[in-house]
Amino acid sequence: MDGSRRFETRDMTRIVAFAAILAVLGIPGAIPIGGSVPITAQTLGVMLAGAVLGAWRGAAAVVIFLVLVLAGLPLLSGGRGGAGVFAGPSAGYLIGWIFGAFVVGAIVRVGGRPPVWWRTAVGCFVGGALVVYAIGIPVQSAVTGLGLWETITTSAAFLPGDLLKVVAATVITMALWRAYPRAFGNPTRLRRAAS
Amino acid sequence: MISLYRPGDSLLHRLPAGPKLLVVMALALGVSLAPADPWTLTGAALAVAACYLLAGLGAVEIARQAYKLRWLVLVMVVSQVFFLPALTMAANVVRVVVVILLANLVTLTTRTEQVVDAIERALTPLRRLGVNPSRVALMLSMTITTIPVIAGFATQIREAQRARGVPAAPLAFVVPLLIMALKHSDDLADALTARGID
Repeated sequence: MDGSRRFETRDMTRIVAFAAILAVLGIPGAIPIGGSVPITAQTLGVMLAGAVLGAWRGAAAVVIFLVLVLAGLPLLSGGRGGAGVFAGPSAGYLIGWIFGAFVVGAIVRVGGRPPVWWRTAVGCFVGGALVVYAIGIPVQSAVTGLGLWETITTSAAFLPGDLLKVVAATVITMALWRAYPRAFGNPTRLRRAAS
Repeated sequence: MISLYRPGDSLLHRLPAGPKLLVVMALALGVSLAPADPWTLTGAALAVAACYLLAGLGAVEIARQAYKLRWLVLVMVVSQVFFLPALTMAANVVRVVVVILLANLVTLTTRTEQVVDAIERALTPLRRLGVNPSRVALMLSMTITTIPVIAGFATQIREAQRARGVPAAPLAFVVPLLIMALKHSDDLADALTARGID
């Protein structure tokens, strides 16, 4: 809760829970979406991991998830997995998730504070979209051999979907904060940080 | 949990996971940096195909793995066809396909547990930075067992909402999923503490 890097048992199982949630969000049809908005729910999971668990634990949940993908479990959306995805064009986005979750947590939970809606929205946008692009696009450009600027142009297609995810992550985080504040850590410590 | 591993008894299956991953990473880097020369890339593609045969995976498996990459190839061709000359584009596509097939060869010939063990060993030097390798390994195996539990929660929530006629909406679905998952994680923490893992 205080940004310390030593994880207690409760932190460990929360990291495990979020790593598993990331996997479940990749199961096709796991999230019922009204209409036909193309949402890969796993980026939403990355934003939520950072916002709920905070920087270090959020990033740890993403690392655990990605290690299992590397180890050969087909946990990415569309049943992808294995070492091959870390050699393909989307490798940078996957690594970007780790730093993305960290930045989301660092902004949303700055100083161990509970979430407020505007900080959650800014954090999810900067961490979940900008940071992921900043690492993903150069790697994609290097792997595919397409120029950096052309890659940026083709990646712009994902921006509307990511903005939707920022909105969804913010709404979900604030709803979770009202419904189950314990999710965000020790209640007394949270109250102290908020005041 | 169905792994992408294919059981077998070839030389590639018997190699230890850690060195195998390192060798493949080095080879992948080599292919990625290789010049866009048709002969080099044809050679690399044939070498990877030979490795698949050596692993006892056969032409059908190579075709299946390559077919999985059809969307990637399509996207690469569509996004590059206007920007790059045809030969460079073809070289880029072949290079990416070869590297992915090579990396997938590790996954096809290595058990999930072997990779997890290799990662636990690789983390040992990080002990000084406060990383506890056995805790990381515990978290990895707990995640594998937790995924079906949380997938079960998802089914439960969906069915309950369908029974009540709630229209499909991500918010009404994800919030209860998060609460159930986090409550489950607290139970898991209590169970671990009760067994002296702290």
